[in-house]
Amino acid sequence: MKPVSRRKFLTFSALTLAGSSLPVRPLCAFTKTQGKTGSDNIAGKPFKNDAPEHLWKWSREADYSITLPGNAVICGICPHGCVLEDGDRSICRSRVNINGNLHTLAYGNPCSVNTDPIEKKPLFHFKPASKALSIASTGCNFRCLNCQNWQISQVKPEDVRFYDLFPEQVIIKAVDVKADSIAYTYSEATTYYEYMIDTAQLAKKKGISNLWISNGYINPEPLSALCEVIDAANINLKSFDNRTYQKLNGGNLDPVLNTLKTLHKKKVHFEITTLVVPGYVDDEKMIKKMCQWIIHNLGPDHPMHFLRFFPQYKLDRLYPTPISVLTNLRKIAIDTGIRYVYVGNVPDHEGNHTFCHQCGKMLIERKGYHIPTCNIEKNKCRFCSTLIPGQWI
Amino acid sequence: MKKTIKLKIDRLICNVVVATGVASVATQLLTIREFLSLLNGNEFVIAIILFNWLFLGGLGTLLAGPFSKKNASVKSLYWIATCLLILAPVQLIAIRKIHSLIFIHGSSVGFYPTLAYSLFTITPYCLLLGFLLPYSLLVVRSQIDNYPGTRIYIFDNVGDIFGGALFSFVLVYFTTPMQAVCFTQVPLLIALYKLYTSVYNVKFPAITGFALGLLVLVVALMNEASTLAPHNGKLAYYQETPYGRIQIIEDQEQFTLFQNGRPTFSSQNLNAAEEVIHYPLSQIDCVRHVLLISAEKSMISEVKKYNPISIDYVELDPAITDVQFRFGLLEKHPEMKVIHQDGRQYLAQTNKKYDAIILNLPEPDTFQTNRFFTEQFFSIARQRIQENGILSFSVKGFDNYISDNELQKISSIYRTASQVFSQVILIPGNRIFFLCSESPLETDIPGLLENKKISTSYISGYYDGNITLERINRLNHQLLPSVPLNSDFSPHLVRILLDEWFSIFSTSPVLFVLILSVINIVYFFFISKEEFVLYTTGGFTMGTEILVIFAFQIFFGYIYLQIGLIITVFLAGILPGAFYGEYLRKRGKQILVFTDMMLIALMMLFIGGITLFSNHLSGNVFLAFGFVVSLVCGCQFPVALHLQGGTKPAAIKMFSADLIGAAYGTLVTSILLIPFAGILWSAIGLILLKTISLIILNSKHETCFKTKISNI
Repeated sequence: MKPVSRRKFLTFSALTLAGSSLPVRPLCAFTKTQGKTGSDNIAGKPFKNDAPEHLWKWSREADYSITLPGNAVICGICPHGCVLEDGDRSICRSRVNINGNLHTLAYGNPCSVNTDPIEKKPLFHFKPASKALSIASTGCNFRCLNCQNWQISQVKPEDVRFYDLFPEQVIIKAVDVKADSIAYTYSEATTYYEYMIDTAQLAKKKGISNLWISNGYINPEPLSALCEVIDAANINLKSFDNRTYQKLNGGNLDPVLNTLKTLHKKKVHFEITTLVVPGYVDDEKMIKKMCQWIIHNLGPDHPMHFLRFFPQYKLDRLYPTPISVLTNLRKIAIDTGIRYVYVGNVPDHEGNHTFCHQCGKMLIERKGYHIPTCNIEKNKCRFCSTLIPGQWI
Repeated sequence: MKKTIKLKIDRLICNVVVATGVASVATQLLTIREFLSLLNGNEFVIAIILFNWLFLGGLGTLLAGPFSKKNASVKSLYWIATCLLILAPVQLIAIRKIHSLIFIHGSSVGFYPTLAYSLFTITPYCLLLGFLLPYSLLVVRSQIDNYPGTRIYIFDNVGDIFGGALFSFVLVYFTTPMQAVCFTQVPLLIALYKLYTSVYNVKFPAITGFALGLLVLVVALMNEASTLAPHNGKLAYYQETPYGRIQIIEDQEQFTLFQNGRPTFSSQNLNAAEEVIHYPLSQIDCVRHVLLISAEKSMISEVKKYNPISIDYVELDPAITDVQFRFGLLEKHPEMKVIHQDGRQYLAQTNKKYDAIILNLPEPDTFQTNRFFTEQFFSIARQRIQENGILSFSVKGFDNYISDNELQKISSIYRTASQVFSQVILIPGNRIFFLCSESPLETDIPGLLENKKISTSYISGYYDGNITLERINRLNHQLLPSVPLNSDFSPHLVRILLDEWFSIFSTSPVLFVLILSVINIVYFFFISKEEFVLYTTGGFTMGTEILVIFAFQIFFGYIYLQIGLIITVFLAGILPGAFYGEYLRKRGKQILVFTDMMLIALMMLFIGGITLFSNHLSGNVFLAFGFVVSLVCGCQFPVALHLQGGTKPAAIKMFSADLIGAAYGTLVTSILLIPFAGILWSAIGLILLKTISLIILNSKHETCFKTKISNI
């Protein structure tokens, strides 16, 4: 055999190294230098050519879409503003462009239907101890790494088992289980907007309250329309740092803040929930800044919930939030001026109860979902007659 | 004189080969452990990392192809081996550091990023390692013509055995990963220094290389602590045990125990304690004797509310209980007896009967944990509970919707448990609890607790809102009636959980499997029959090793030392096999045919043994079996090499075929055969592999496996 020349050796080695660098390609999707997609931003992308050939029974033409030349459409429901060519599917997986028309595939086909205590949403200042018929279709415009409902939020409507439950039937079901409210929850209700709003309109006529449990990532116009039919909301304010929003959730902060402002302006009762993820959302300075923003823009009366994080879904290599961190953040929020601050996912914590912001006495004692003691009468503190924000009947 | 120099070089290079074997096996084991601490520790990940290691080693071997003995020098060997030595600790640091740079802290990683990340970090070391063995042979042959390639193979094997034994039986108990890596590089450092200074008069390069190597080792040692620092919280405790990495992370008042990078126990998890203890114990009228297999904080206190006579706590790893007590992750009680043993093995051996056996184990996504979710285990447990006793365990559940994978998992476990127990109920939630008994069971846990006047924080407040009758009934109605049972020999749960892992990350291994299959098929077109035999032998050896370890665990439990011994004997058998093969090599093809038939016979013996004589098998039988299999496999290398002329290209191809075959064998057996087909059909699969080898070997045309493409 001929001895190898230097040139040949170098060529051979270069090819080998080039070949061995191929595994780097999948890693490139996770490097920091990439723009929208990378480990710094997990936001989804529209799914090209992923629409079904034909619409199915559980679809309806989508609201808030803009048609573009060449059969493309822009979805106007959430700030992602998915631009979909004919045959594409949205980031949330629930909307498709078929022949230049945007349709939702999540209409009348909830995959999850339960009767939950309203405190589970969590909503502490709205019809306490009442029941909420909770429904969800699939889909979400976020990609939260710790999603506890990933089985339905990160899938397509066609991929799950579901109920055949159009809006009218939801109302019948709600009456049947004696629910005071219907909660649009679990996955991301914004992504089944049409189903939600149509059901909510019927529910309103029936005197059933509508609860919107959401990440708040919605455009102003659909939000305004929604505010006409919903009675209460719980908005997840996942962080007060846009980088964290992009890194852990795949969204942006500003649209969520705008949602909060709109709800406040429209006088919709809402409560804010923040899941305190260790290392990401437990920074005291950030929380203080968040609370100051809330006081300045929304006032002190919107209840706030700090929830304890537990490892979940893809974010399963972090430890749970230390309880003292939640206690401390609650104190910071109260010191900043927010009147009603709760701690969630921690039994027997002082932050489970409601205290009068004026006299400091316990108004509602909570043991889990049970309310052994209630000292609110006609929306006022029984002790000092201060008006307590919320809807108590 | 000349002969003396030649013999000296032979000895010096063989020393380098042995030292490389020692260093590389230790590095391999440490690398795998490191990946398991950073990535998901399921069977797929273990198999992928091992596959990458072996496959890249095989590729590295092929890289030596263009070289000839005319341009192979001791100098080059010296520097290449020095690079390898330096790469070992650098690789370990790179694995830790790169992980924190490219992945989101606290998040799990899916299949393709795992594959890419492991390939990216180990490629330089593995390619170099694979290259070094044939290159060493070239260097020796540059001095000694017709130097037998088998000799290098044998010395490499000696190094592998020693390195494996040293790590598994000594270093893992007393050293950190970096200490172990650095310690095992030292013999190589010395061997290289001696090699260079014996051959060349100029010592400066040797001193430089030695100093550089030593510097890297020392710097790596000094900086190990910084590579282990957690992203947030404080590292309160760290230990490497035979079972993996233990870390205690402190944040404020909370201590969390991490096992292989995953949080398992927290000092503030009262909810879990109440669910795990009260769901089963509330069902029993009189709780006297309780067995906990793995436990965490507050569980003992909750058990105590029932005033039991005894609480037995079984934990496999003594280091876990030590840190649990030390950091308040488990309470001590006078009635509590701690037993350090495999939980299943304990139950199989004890005569004690319990009112409740409560398991608090991780998901059954490895063969090791799957053993606690099989029909055989449930039968053992049933024999160890009182007439009205209860077995309780849980798996990951769901919040509001059960996916198809989860439904398969739950249904399989339910069906399996129902084969043994007449009463099985499910309590849904973020964890799904299985309560199994011969007595009727109830789901109204708060009601049961109220009757017993036992107070709780979480259950009393949240149970009725989270675990409604609606949810319980819905789950029961959704259970699939015809899913496969999960048994020791057919671990279907492992497969289901692997599917679940893929679905979480919305990926599929299909593309990977396709690419590997294509590479494999193309490879077959370019190899000779003898190479194919070694390829199948490599696959057979690794496949058998995995089967033997798997079977051993079923019969005897997870006993680290014994399993370490099994791995060692699989390495050790190759050595005498290679000697014997060298002695018999002139009988050529006859020996290959005979050894292939022997392997088939041995595997049939294995099948017969575990099916017909399972009650009479001892651990030593497994050791002897492993030794004989690897002895027979070891015979084949020198024979195959001789049949190919014993030339340098032949040696390279033989080394490579063996490694690549081993790589595929590992992957296919771990993630395809055992989870999908079970242990018996996996054994049959390996028999089929060797049968194909026999057929190819006996085919008429010598070059039938070489297509016309390779002749162009």
